[in-house]
This record gives sequence, structure tokens and C-alpha cells, in this order.
Amino acid sequence: MKARQVGGLDPAAPLRPNAARLVRARLDELRSFAPVALQPPASKTQHDMRIAAKRLRYVLEIVGPCFGPEADAARDAARRLQGVLGEIHDCDVMLPRAWGIESLRERLRERRERLFREFVDFWRDASATWAALERTLGADGPKSHA
Amino acid sequence: MARAREVPGFDCEEPFAVAAARVVGVRAAEVFAHSEGVLDLEEIERLHDMRVATRRLRAALEVFDSCFPRKRHRRALKRVKELADALGERRDRDVAIEFLGGLEAETPQDDRAGLAVLVERLRAEQREANEALAPYVKPKRLKKLRRRLRKLAKAAKR
Repeated sequence: MKARQVGGLDPAAPLRPNAARLVRARLDELRSFAPVALQPPASKTQHDMRIAAKRLRYVLEIVGPCFGPEADAARDAARRLQGVLGEIHDCDVMLPRAWGIESLRERLRERRERLFREFVDFWRDASATWAALERTLGADGPKSHA
Repeated sequence: MARAREVPGFDCEEPFAVAAARVVGVRAAEVFAHSEGVLDLEEIERLHDMRVATRRLRAALEVFDSCFPRKRHRRALKRVKELADALGERRDRDVAIEFLGGLEAETPQDDRAGLAVLVERLRAEQREANEALAPYVKPKRLKKLRRRLRKLAKAAKR
């Protein structure tokens, strides 16, 4: 999945407003996958959402110091989200390979269901973290053109 | 997993391009610092650390892409992506083998032979992925990539 382009970045301008645009764009991108990804069989969108979480995590790892503890909390949330969606993806990849090994297939299905529930709960709980991050970014420039 | 190193002199008020040069320099150094022993199949965490460092470098190159000369940036990013992909192919097998290894004892007798075949297949893929990775982590190739990234960092538009 290609990352959405972020407009209006200026190499000569201070890091902070540029960083705010980037973080906002990655956060918007992540959120855009939620409505479909929260349906259990949407494995392709869940995979795309994992990549979006990874992008948000890494941009926050780089520019987090510009946005304080809210950015640290959002980075940790993105890392957890990436982790749980990654494990769901691992189950999806392994399932067809486990053809004929019924106990393994059953275990993978159960594991996927459990991880999916974790993902849904985590996404619900993380909404306050994203909102806090957004408020912190708010002071730094206009909304991105993502 | 290794934590990302602090970027000395990082300042949110300095120009975006200056930060770009600082961050790319540190993240590139991290990749090379983790390059030793990554082909060792008995110590899979080494590869994991290099992979994470490569991901961080790739992220830095993507975040700051507007700060670098386009052609030079595209070439450097391509090399980093190739390295990341080769590391990823190996890592996927490492993780799958580890996961299945943990299930062996609880697997019913009827399924154990099938599980062993699957693990053996994954081990063969792991060896293949390791062979495919080997040219990317040769000291000479890494040195060249390091030089390329150093030049890129210096070329950040200021």
C-alpha cells in the first residue's frame, strides 16, 4: 500500500509545522481504514491498516519529541495496533499453508478470533489517544491535504 | 528489539532539512551497527534488530523525502527497500518456525507428521531466504550503501 502524499512540506521551514502535517496525514490515513477493518473477514484492509499503523508509529518515533507525551502515547498505541494486526495477518498467511493439519487450522482460527476481539477493543480504547494527539497537533498549521 | 538511538542536536525549531540530515545520519548508522551475524540461523534476533533498524531508516527517508535531491533520494530509498525486503523474507520464516515450534508438544499425534512437514518446508524457505539475503549484507555492499546515504544526508536542501 502506497503512502498518501503529504502536501505543503517546506524543507526550509522549521521542523515542527512540517512534522504536524505529516503526523496528521498518517493519523487520517490510519483512521480511514477503521470502518472496513473492524469487520472480521476484512483481512486485506486489516493488513493495510497495519501498514498505516506502522507508518504512524515511525513518523512519531522521529518527530515525537516535538509534540510531548501525547505523541509518546500515540506512538505506543500505534506500535500495539501494528502488533495485533500483524499477528492477525500471520494467522491469515499460515491458514492456507496448514491445509490437512486440522488441529493447527482450528488453533489458528481461534487465535485469529481472539486477536480480532483484541483489535476491536484496542481501537475503541485508543480513540482518546488519537484525539489527544490531534489536539496537540492543532496548534501547528492547517489540516493536511492528504 | 533494539530501541532507536537518540538523535544528537535534534531541535524542533530548526529547518526541516537540517533535521532530515541529522535523522538520516543516525538511522543509517544504526542499520550498519546491527549488520553483524544476521545470516546466523541460530541467533534470529540479530536479523530482527537489523530489520527494525532498516525500517526506521526507510521511514526517515520517506518522512524527509522533500528535503533531498529527488534522483539521489530515489536511488538510496530503492537500495534500502531491497535490503528491507530481503531481511523481511527471512524474518517471516523465522517467526513462522518459532510459532510452530511452540505448538509441537500440544499437537495431537495424528497431526504431528503434517506439522513436521510444514516446519521442514519453512526451514527450506528460510535457508533460501538467507541465501538471497547474503549478497545484500556483504561488507562491501553495505559500505557502498553507507557512503550513498552519507552523501544523501549531506545533500539535504538547506
